[in-house]
Amino acid sequence: MKRTSKPIQLLSSKSALLNYSFLIGCLFFAIAGKAQQNTLTAIGNVSGAPADMRQSELKAVLMGETQRWKNGKRIIIALMKTNTALGKTTSLKIYDMSGDELNKYWLSLVFQGKAQAPVFFTSVSDLQNFVAQNPGAIGIIDKPMASADVRAVMIDGKPSF
Amino acid sequence: MRINLKTKIWLTICSIVLMFSFFTLFYFPQQQGQLLVNNYENEVQNLANTVALGVKIAINEQNFEGVQTAMEFVKDDPRLQFISMLQSDTIWDANHTKFQIKQKIFRTFPEKEHLSPTITSNDSLIVKKAPFATKTMSGAILLGFNTKDIEASKAGIKHTSIVVSCIVLLIAFLIGFWLARTISVPVLALRDAARKVGEGDLNQKIKHIRRDEIGQLEKAFNKMIDDLDKTTNDLSEKNMVLSATNSTLNDTLIELKKTHAQLVQSEKMASLGELTAGIAHEIQNPLNFVNNFSEVSIELIEEVLEERAKDATERDETLEAELLDDISKNLEKINHHGKRADGIVKGMLMHSRTSTGLKEPTAINALCDEYLRLSYHGLRAKDKSFNATIKTDFEPSIKTVNAVSQDVGRVILNLLTNAFYAVNEKKQQHPTGYEPTVSVTTKNIDGMVEIKVTDNGNGIPKKVIDKIFQPFFTTKPTGQGTGLGLSLSYDIITQGHGGELKVETNEGEGTEFTIRLPA
Repeated sequence: MKRTSKPIQLLSSKSALLNYSFLIGCLFFAIAGKAQQNTLTAIGNVSGAPADMRQSELKAVLMGETQRWKNGKRIIIALMKTNTALGKTTSLKIYDMSGDELNKYWLSLVFQGKAQAPVFFTSVSDLQNFVAQNPGAIGIIDKPMASADVRAVMIDGKPSF
Repeated sequence: MRINLKTKIWLTICSIVLMFSFFTLFYFPQQQGQLLVNNYENEVQNLANTVALGVKIAINEQNFEGVQTAMEFVKDDPRLQFISMLQSDTIWDANHTKFQIKQKIFRTFPEKEHLSPTITSNDSLIVKKAPFATKTMSGAILLGFNTKDIEASKAGIKHTSIVVSCIVLLIAFLIGFWLARTISVPVLALRDAARKVGEGDLNQKIKHIRRDEIGQLEKAFNKMIDDLDKTTNDLSEKNMVLSATNSTLNDTLIELKKTHAQLVQSEKMASLGELTAGIAHEIQNPLNFVNNFSEVSIELIEEVLEERAKDATERDETLEAELLDDISKNLEKINHHGKRADGIVKGMLMHSRTSTGLKEPTAINALCDEYLRLSYHGLRAKDKSFNATIKTDFEPSIKTVNAVSQDVGRVILNLLTNAFYAVNEKKQQHPTGYEPTVSVTTKNIDGMVEIKVTDNGNGIPKKVIDKIFQPFFTTKPTGQGTGLGLSLSYDIITQGHGGELKVETNEGEGTEFTIRLPA
C-alpha cells in the first residue's frame, strides 16, 4: 500500500499543482478581465464634445441633465445596450442602475420630454462610428481610442475612469 | 277647404325648404358631428397605440426613437390635454396564492396634471387607452385630448348649415315668386277670363301668348273662345229658327186643343144625341100622365062646377067632395110626373154639362139601369125595328161608389151604345136565327165594383183590338162615330177614378167590356 501510495501522492501532488496553477491562471484572467471591464472611457465627436471634463459634468451629461455643450451643440448620448457586458458596466458604474431601471429612467425622461434618450448599440465599433458621424455625440466604451472625428474625453484628467 | 294653385305652389316649396332645413340644420350637423367625433376618437386611439408601441420597443429593444418621435408628435398637438403612462403591478397576497392587478400613474405629461387611472371621456375630453406589455413592465398609455376643435367644427358646420338654409330659403322664396308669377298669375288670369266667358263675354282672348305649356293652354283657350263664338252664333241662328218653329207649333197646339175640345164636345153631343130619343121617350111617359090627368081634372072641375050650379036641394055635396078629392089626387099625380120629367131634363142637362170633376157617392146599380134604359129607348126611337134582349144582374149589396156620376154614366152609355150597335149590325147580317142580347151585370169583387157590359155581336177583329182605346180610332162609318168614345172612357176610368177598363172579345161571338172601380 505504501509503495503504491507514494507515486499516487506524487501524482496527486502534481495534479494539485496543475490544478492550482489553472485556478490561479483563471483567477488572474478573471481579475484582469474584471479590471478591464470596470474601466470605462468616454469618447466624443471632435466637433462637439469637449476634450476633458469633470466626473460630475460627465454624469450630468449622461443623466440627461445637461443637454447641450458649451458651444451650443446638442448632446447625443451613445451607450452600449444593457444586455452587453459593457452596457451593464456602464449602467452600474455611471447610473448606479440595473438595465431595467435605466430603461425606465430614460423612458420617464423621454415621456415627459425632459431629455433626448441615448442611442444604444450592440457593438463598440457601431458606437464609435455613430459618435464619429454625429457632432455633439458622446459615448461610453471600455478603452480609449482616437480617430479623425473621435477623441477620448479626459475625465478629471484621466483617459479612463 | 279649397286650396288654390298659388297656395299649392307655396306649400310645395315650403315643404321642400322645411325638409331641406331639417336636413341641413339637424340631420346633417348631427351626422357630421358624430363622424367628427368618431374620427377624432380613432385618431386619439391611434396616437395612443403609437405611443404604446414606442414604449414597448423602447423597453424591449432600448430603442427610444419611436417613443420619442410619437411623444414629440403628441406633445406638439394643441388638442393634447394629457398623456399618461399607467403601470400595472401584480400584487400577491402573503401566501402567494392570490393576486390583484393594481394600476398607478407612472408618468404624466404635462406633469402638473394629476389624474386618476380610471379617468374616462366626457363632453369636453376624449380619453383613449392603449395597453402595452413587456417583460419588465406592463401598463397602458392613457391619452386625453380636449374636444374644443370638435366643438368648434360642430359650430362651424352648424353655422354653415344655417347660412346654407338661409340661402336655400331665399332661393326658395325667389323660385316661389317666380313660379307664382309664371304659373299662378297666368292660370288665375285664364280662370278669370274663363269665368267672364262663362258669363257671356267672349272678348276675353289672351293677348300675350307665352312659349311654355301655359302658352299652349292660352292658345287653346283663345281657340275655344273662337269656337264658342261661332257655335253661339250658329246656336243663335238656330234658336231663332226654333223659336219661329216653336211659335208655329204653339199655335198649332192651341188649334189642336181647340179642336180636341170641340171633338170632345162633339162626342158629348153625339152621346147626347144617342140619349135624346130615350130621353124623349122618358119625358113622353110623364107628359102623357100630366096631359091625361090634367084633361081628366078639367072634366072633373067642370063636373064640380055643374054640380055647384044646381039648386041647393039638388046638389050632391058628397059627389062634389069625391070629385074634388079626385082632382086633388090627379094634381098630385100631375105634380109627381112633372117632377119626374123635371128630373129627366135635369139629368139630360147634367149629362150635357161639363163635368165638375167632383166625386160623390154614386149608386152604380141605378146608374147602370138608367143609362141602359136611355140607350135602349134611344136606339129604339131611331130604329123601331130594332129589338134586343136585355139582361141585367145587379148585385144588391153594392151601395154607392165614390165617383163622378156624369163621367161614369157617360162611359156606361158609350159601352152600351157600342153593344147595341154591334148586336144591331149582326142582326142586320143575320135576320133570322139570331137573338141580339145585351147584358149588364154588377159585382163586388175584392173591394172593387165590377161592371160588365156584354153583347153577342160580331166581336172586335184581332187586328184592331190594340187600337180601340186610341183616340180617333173607329170602325163605324164616317159620320157615325168620332173615335173618341172608348178613348175618353179609358181615361175617365183609369185616370179619373183609378180603375180598370178591359175588353175581351171573340170574333163572331161577341164582346165583353169590364169596368172596375175602387169601392
